Amino acid sequence: MNPQANSTVGDGKASTTKTTFSRETSVSTTINADPSIVWALLTNAADIPRWNSTVTSIKGQIREGQTIELKSTLDEKRTFKLKVKEFVPEKRLVWGDAQGNRVYTIEKGAGKGVRFTMTEKIGGPLFPLFAGFIPSFDESFERYTADLKKEAESIQSSKS
Amino acid sequence: MTTDQLILEFETFHGELKSFILRMTASVQDAEDIVQETYLKAHEKIDTFRGESSLKTWIFSIASNFARDLLRSKKRWPETVTDICREEALHNKQFFQEAMQIRETSPQGKFEIKEHIAFCFTCVSKSLPLEQHLALLLKEVYGFKVTEIATIINQTEAMVKYYLHVSRSRMIEIFDHRCSLINKQGICHQCTELNGIFNPKQKAQEELVKIEMAREAENKSKEELFDLRMKILQELDPFESGAAELQLHHLEHNRQVMEKYLEENS
Repeated sequence: MNPQANSTVGDGKASTTKTTFSRETSVSTTINADPSIVWALLTNAADIPRWNSTVTSIKGQIREGQTIELKSTLDEKRTFKLKVKEFVPEKRLVWGDAQGNRVYTIEKGAGKGVRFTMTEKIGGPLFPLFAGFIPSFDESFERYTADLKKEAESIQSSKS
Repeated sequence: MTTDQLILEFETFHGELKSFILRMTASVQDAEDIVQETYLKAHEKIDTFRGESSLKTWIFSIASNFARDLLRSKKRWPETVTDICREEALHNKQFFQEAMQIRETSPQGKFEIKEHIAFCFTCVSKSLPLEQHLALLLKEVYGFKVTEIATIINQTEAMVKYYLHVSRSRMIEIFDHRCSLINKQGICHQCTELNGIFNPKQKAQEELVKIEMAREAENKSKEELFDLRMKILQELDPFESGAAELQLHHLEHNRQVMEKYLEENS
């Protein structure tokens, strides 16, 4: 089946591409902060619920090979057990489970800011059976990104 | 810089350095050892000091490295440290006997609520990750700038800003939840409880109005109240104050309880 919807990833605006066997949501934004700040915010698990309004709790260490237990506002009754699959400091973080992967990338821009992108692809042969039960990620992705941008820029501009 | 200049300048911030290390380690012995080792190393390496930072920043950087070496392998304390230690103290008759004797005989044996507030922060802040703890104390209590802290703890300025932001947020959250002086729903009353034991004739409320943080609890934001808490630490020398011996005795008790607790719960 052809993709039902796709659009250019706007600044902080999420977009979703759907096929019969998969769904991919992506959001991207420019963050005026040092990549180390963005990376630290993304990987300091204990601190994430403080600044990220889409995550209600997170247990474990975000380090390559470790498993984290995450509760999200998307489905507060469910605990997602996710394995950290890639951990490249200040560049790329990937975690996921059997159904899909979440990829975070940080690209250094020409100036002081970074381009942050977050993508999640879920799917597989059984995807059509459960696709209808999975809520849209768009709003949650936009909030996640907006929260990250706000927090990172607030830290960057804090007094020296 | 000559050795004579080093001695003269070292003396001007020796007290601050010692209190900084005490607040990192919670151990008088470690504070004294590290300050001594720091001086010896500075003396030995004074030829390599190029004045790229102030001497104070350079010396604090040496001392921070010693503190880090000592603390890196040790577990951080839980944020409930004062609850755990209170339970232990209640079953420790000797602790109270010694404390009472200090209270009655030592010129540094007064019990003052503001001293206990500083003591409490020393214990609770040891729940922060090590680098965040270092950065927070250096900025909020000892007044170093972000650039100087970056030099002292050998991190980028961006990371120092991150450590400061996160550690400050964490401490504000913990004290807002725990401290009954700033939040009526706070679960910890140890400072007023101990005041009742050590100063039975004194009314805690009369003492609390002398402390700006407690007096302004309903008028100031959490951020401002944290700044007032830091002001108490800035103004107190834990080795020289009128309550020093009593508080250091209590700190040693908590340190020993924590070592045992962390060993048993590892």
